[in-house]
Order: sequence, then structure tokens, then C-alpha cells
Amino acid sequence: MAESTETIAPSSVTVSEEPSKQHRTPSDFLKSVLGRPVQVKLNTGLEYRGVLACLDGYLNIALEQTEEYANGQLKAKYGDAFIRGNNVLYISTQTKKR
Amino acid sequence: MSSKRLLPLEVIDQAIGSKIWILLRGQKEVVGILRGFDDYVNLVLEDAIEYSMDAHGVSTATPLHTEILLNGNQITVLVPNETPEGSAAAAAVH
Repeated sequence: MAESTETIAPSSVTVSEEPSKQHRTPSDFLKSVLGRPVQVKLNTGLEYRGVLACLDGYLNIALEQTEEYANGQLKAKYGDAFIRGNNVLYISTQTKKR
Repeated sequence: MSSKRLLPLEVIDQAIGSKIWILLRGQKEVVGILRGFDDYVNLVLEDAIEYSMDAHGVSTATPLHTEILLNGNQITVLVPNETPEGSAAAAAVH
């Protein structure tokens, strides 16, 4: 995942000290979420629900069958939507297990 | 006296598997179980609950199901093993 200029030196961190811990990294999450219905919340509070067509390391997102929600209310529907990654607050899966 | 250097990313790594309280920019908080993170402190959280504050000071909690990827750009503070029940409740009363 790439961003502007801030980096933390990865070589100084030994992340996998305990092999028994399952590390589900963000890149694992991104691979697993392709093609699934997701909910994307932006920094502005707008929410978009749709099927994740593709995304990249910048969290740029392409959605299909998109619905736009403001304050929990459906505002618009788009066939295809492209969201620039710098606006994304979170990506959430929608399969409700409980 | 020897003191081991404790790196910030190690602290986050030790929190994997347990609940973590995340403070975001703009009066928002998220509590969830930390599943993983990367060098930019983007987080993978499970069963996260999102707390936000209106302009009127009304706090709302929104449960988010299954997994979320939280963008590290908006994260300000990470607090392992704590929940904002105190702060959210205090804010609601106030």
C-alpha cells in the first residue's frame, strides 16, 4: 500500500516474532475482498455500497452497481463508480454473519 | 539499568488478536479486534464498531460487520486493550 512520503523503516521491525499469530495484513484483505459486495466510507462521511470490481495499493476503488448513502439515506445509484483512494476512510465487507 | 527499546510497531503487533481502540481525525473512534496491519498502519479490524460525534455532541455507534480495512491516513491514536465506553458515555451525558 503506497502513500505520499511517510514511511516507517520496515527493516527495524520484527513483526513475525510469534509464528502462531495469524497476521491478516491489509494486502491479504484486499485480495480476499475483490468481487464481493462492500461498503466504502469516505473521510467526508459519505458511504458507497457496491460490488468491488477492483482496487489498488492506493485504495483507489472501482465499484459496480453502486449506491450512495448520506447519513444512512440512499441518495443516488451509479452503474460504475471510481473512488480516489485518498478519500477512503474504510472498506468493509457486507456479508453479515450474525 | 538496561531498557529495551520498544518500537511503536511492536506495540501494535502485540495487540494483534485483542481489542483495540482507534482514535481518528474528526471526532471519530473505532473499536475492534485487530487482525493485522502494515507499515503505514493501515489496519484490518474484525467486528468493528464506529463511534462518531455530531456537531450537536450526539454520539452514535454503528456496528460494522465482519472485517474492515481502516485507512491509516486518518488514524491518530491507537490504544490496545481498551474501549471508549468511558469517553463515549461521558460525551453522551455531557
